[in-house]
Amino acid sequence: MEIRPIVSALMRSKISLVLIGLQIALTLAIVCNSLFIISERLALMQRPSGMNEADTFSLSSIGFGANFDHRASIAEDLAALRTLPGVVDATVINTVPLSNGGWSEGIALTQEQKTSTAPTAIYFVDEHGLNTLGAKLVAGRNFRADEFSERDRNVQGWPPGVIISKPLAEKLFPGEDPIGKQFYLDQLQPANTVIGVVEQLQAPWAHSKRVAEFSTLVPQYLIGNNASRYLIRAQPGSRDALMKQVEAKLGEINPSRIVREARSLQRVRAESYAEDRAMATILVIVILSLLTITALGIVGMASFWVTQRTKQIGTRRALGATRGSILRYFLTENFLITTLGLVVGAMLAYGFNAWLIKNYQAASMPWYYVPVGCLCLWALGQLAVLGPARRAARVPPAMATRSV
Amino acid sequence: MFGYYLNLGLRSLRRHPVLTALMVFGIALGIAASMTSLTVFHLMGSDPIPWKSSKLHYVQLDNWDVNEAYDRDSGSLPDQLTYLDAAALMASSKADKQAAMYKVAMPVQPENPEVKPFLALGRATGSDFFAMFEPPFKYGGAWDHAQDSQQARVTVLTQETNEKLFGGADSTGKRVKLDGVEYTVTGVLNRWQPRIKYYDVSNGPLSEPESFYIPFTTAIGLQMGSAGNNNCYKNAEPGWEGYLRSECIWIQYWTQLDSSARLAEYKSFLDAYVGEQKKLGRFERPLKTKLPDVNQWLEDQKVVSRDVEIQVGLAFAFLLVCLVNTVGLLLAKFTRKSAEIGLRRALGASRGQLFMQHLIEAGVVGISGGLVGLVLTWGGLFGVRALYEDFKNVAELDWQMVLITIGLSVLAAILAGLFPTWRACHVQPAAQLKTQ
Amino acid sequence: MLKMNHLSKVYRTHLIETHALRDFSIHVREGEFVAVTGPSGSGKTTFLNIAGLLEEFTGGEFLLDGVSVRGMNDDARSKLRNEKIGFIFQGFNLIPDLNLFDNVDVPLRYRGFGAAERKRRIEEALGRVGLSARVKHYPSELSGGQQQRVAIARALAGSPRILLADEPTGNLDTQMARGVMELLENLHREGATIIMVTHDPELAARAQRNVHVIDGQVVDIAAEPRMRGLGVVVPSAQHAAQA
Repeated sequence: MEIRPIVSALMRSKISLVLIGLQIALTLAIVCNSLFIISERLALMQRPSGMNEADTFSLSSIGFGANFDHRASIAEDLAALRTLPGVVDATVINTVPLSNGGWSEGIALTQEQKTSTAPTAIYFVDEHGLNTLGAKLVAGRNFRADEFSERDRNVQGWPPGVIISKPLAEKLFPGEDPIGKQFYLDQLQPANTVIGVVEQLQAPWAHSKRVAEFSTLVPQYLIGNNASRYLIRAQPGSRDALMKQVEAKLGEINPSRIVREARSLQRVRAESYAEDRAMATILVIVILSLLTITALGIVGMASFWVTQRTKQIGTRRALGATRGSILRYFLTENFLITTLGLVVGAMLAYGFNAWLIKNYQAASMPWYYVPVGCLCLWALGQLAVLGPARRAARVPPAMATRSV
Repeated sequence: MFGYYLNLGLRSLRRHPVLTALMVFGIALGIAASMTSLTVFHLMGSDPIPWKSSKLHYVQLDNWDVNEAYDRDSGSLPDQLTYLDAAALMASSKADKQAAMYKVAMPVQPENPEVKPFLALGRATGSDFFAMFEPPFKYGGAWDHAQDSQQARVTVLTQETNEKLFGGADSTGKRVKLDGVEYTVTGVLNRWQPRIKYYDVSNGPLSEPESFYIPFTTAIGLQMGSAGNNNCYKNAEPGWEGYLRSECIWIQYWTQLDSSARLAEYKSFLDAYVGEQKKLGRFERPLKTKLPDVNQWLEDQKVVSRDVEIQVGLAFAFLLVCLVNTVGLLLAKFTRKSAEIGLRRALGASRGQLFMQHLIEAGVVGISGGLVGLVLTWGGLFGVRALYEDFKNVAELDWQMVLITIGLSVLAAILAGLFPTWRACHVQPAAQLKTQ
Repeated sequence: MLKMNHLSKVYRTHLIETHALRDFSIHVREGEFVAVTGPSGSGKTTFLNIAGLLEEFTGGEFLLDGVSVRGMNDDARSKLRNEKIGFIFQGFNLIPDLNLFDNVDVPLRYRGFGAAERKRRIEEALGRVGLSARVKHYPSELSGGQQQRVAIARALAGSPRILLADEPTGNLDTQMARGVMELLENLHREGATIIMVTHDPELAARAQRNVHVIDGQVVDIAAEPRMRGLGVVVPSAQHAAQA
């Protein structure tokens, strides 16, 4: 196929060339950046929390009235929950991963340092905590029943032995065995000692870059405000039925309280990432609409060109062009226009990414997005032009002699 | 003549239904995308209390750690106050109106045994809150300053709570039991739901509205902790008293300052207050106080999320693609009509007349695109509400947006039509008339 | 009625200059039926385009109905064209989307007539060409001859001072061509001024006067004293007379 005559024909309809080229350029820029944002969000959403999410649910209890005994109520509830059929284990806990609300502290390695070494989420649990969460202990040991204390507004300081997540251990003690190492949750109080390390346990704040993977488990019950949260791990498959049962059971044990927020961890995860999922969904819709519009635009313009050049095509046919060569002419023409658009589009795509980096602290787009986007748009262009090109190929040679 | 052009435009569009549909669909899709995101952007970013937003000022002080700014990345000031400061500012009462406030959650124990106890979110604040933010009262009114200082057990209920507890009847003077304590109802609000909970951005600008209001002083007296965010850079001393004396921030503080002179006065008062406190060993960071008004505060707190901003940008880029697409198609269409245009010129039509004719044809495409776009926008907002649970108040079509949608699409189509029309009118009439 | 003195028309591209008309002079009086003949490329069409105010000219003088059109702006030319000139094209140039009524209506709309006036004129014009019964038909439903008669009705509807016909029978078979020619002759008899461009000597012979154009110049004016017997006008002589 000769390119030069096509190019010179194209140069005579510069405006159409510019319009289609611009459309393709913008499409490439938007599609590449959107795909990149989508992939980032998906990666964010796919990070594991380090706990068993499929079989667990949490719910909270708020007691009221002067006669409500918070301390007794926790003991009574836990005893009832742990013996309920279908329950693998249960713990009292202040918050659950990904729930976006919780307690955080700054960890210091020395008593003198002015700023903290790392932030951490605090989970207050008892010795059933690890098993209920399904967190995998990779070093050290679990809490013992005798290590538990109560915590209210009058309590200062922290229990000596704590369990931390592995990413936090690596941050605090890089390359060392963290078991037995010490740090300060409160620099005015005695140091805490690492007694165990779990493989992974995400903080409640999944979107916080600083603290997301840093967690500390503390063996304390929070009392004093009549509010407690329980985390329950069900036998596989029985979670939803058990959730209703537990809600009813807690109400029965002590009616002077409100049982609320019964949510499976899967729902907690879904709610935590709702905005990311929404953004990804919206971007997918934008991409699909954009590709549709661009394809339709190419079809429209190509049809117009075919109509406009009917006589010319007839003349070519009369002069001996085969159907195949007419078809190839239009396909090649489209390829050239698309390529021109893609060159501009590649610059736009990187420019747009640079703008996002500057204004929204976005990450830098990996290099392969643009070439892959180009391949897609080339394919799209060829597909879109195929219909009009086939129509052109069917123009009879006799068209050349027709006067109108 | 307008009627004639309109008629010609419609005929011409009917003659190429596929091309017309392509153009209308293109504009509609672009319009729908941009209007959907713009509506959310507009409703999230719009002034929630336009008649007095410049008089309401949030108070920001910097009591944070001398070694580390509150926000390590941006260096911005803490977004709430300590009890110490809130109480001191309340006591001096230097603003025209002022209200300290925090979010509480309490079990409600209805008298009626048929209604199960439920947990309700409320706001502990001062009586000025009602004068400052102007929620409409259905029955009764706010408590007064005397009741503020007496730690009176009084409450204002929202319409929904009053509906639940009293079946919607006038409940002023009746009693409500919250967490074992009885409060007397002084007033009931009418339905009041600002799109953005601008007076408490720290606890989520899109979060649920509260169900009741009680005096700030009463809540403190009852040792009621905050149900909202609480931030400490160093640990509090033991007990409730220790907590109240701590550097933990958990209280929002609003003032009403009726003139710029009052604003300046209050600013110097604040600076002087911080200066005094520095002598006592507090406020170790450099002296910095801020009094953003409602709109500055919403902007500082990035109420319009970056996702929404990116979506608006993308949507307009998308609209641009649709416009370029329409320019191309209109150009194709008008070029195909050159013979007719040449003929009309020969029959005496001036360039101006032909320009109008084709611009109106483009306008018709715009209006049709706008109408279809409106339906798609409505669907788009429905989708946004489904995707973002919190957005139910900010993803609604209002009249203003409907008019903007139609206007924008006509403008878009006419913009897209200008160049093709200009080209069409400059057809050389003679060239088109010989043989077609 | 139409007077051109030493008119010239040069087409310029960045490569070449083409003199389509040079020192072109013609005078058509009211009520005349003039045929302009010449081989293709001689400048006939350029002449017609300039006469019809579709194109501007490069030099010389052009008076239409006593008004000099030199340097007139586009809007004024459009208005003049609309009011004083009726076009009849070889290819009819009817608008396929419009029915006969609306086709004839086109120039009247630009004239700014009221609805009643337009209706009267359209019906009268279609009556004159014998197509009153088919006002609601579309061009594609008519034969070529009928289409050309609609085009003539369209040209007449605005009561122009002059009709310009460009090979009016070029796309028609002999029988239809005869009908159209008869119609033009009738109009001439009723007093219309007609300039017809044709390369067909037989048609030209039916006009009152022939103007032959070669290489953009009027070379010969053959008197055809068949109708009203107007005298020969030699361009240079006429020019001398005017000067």
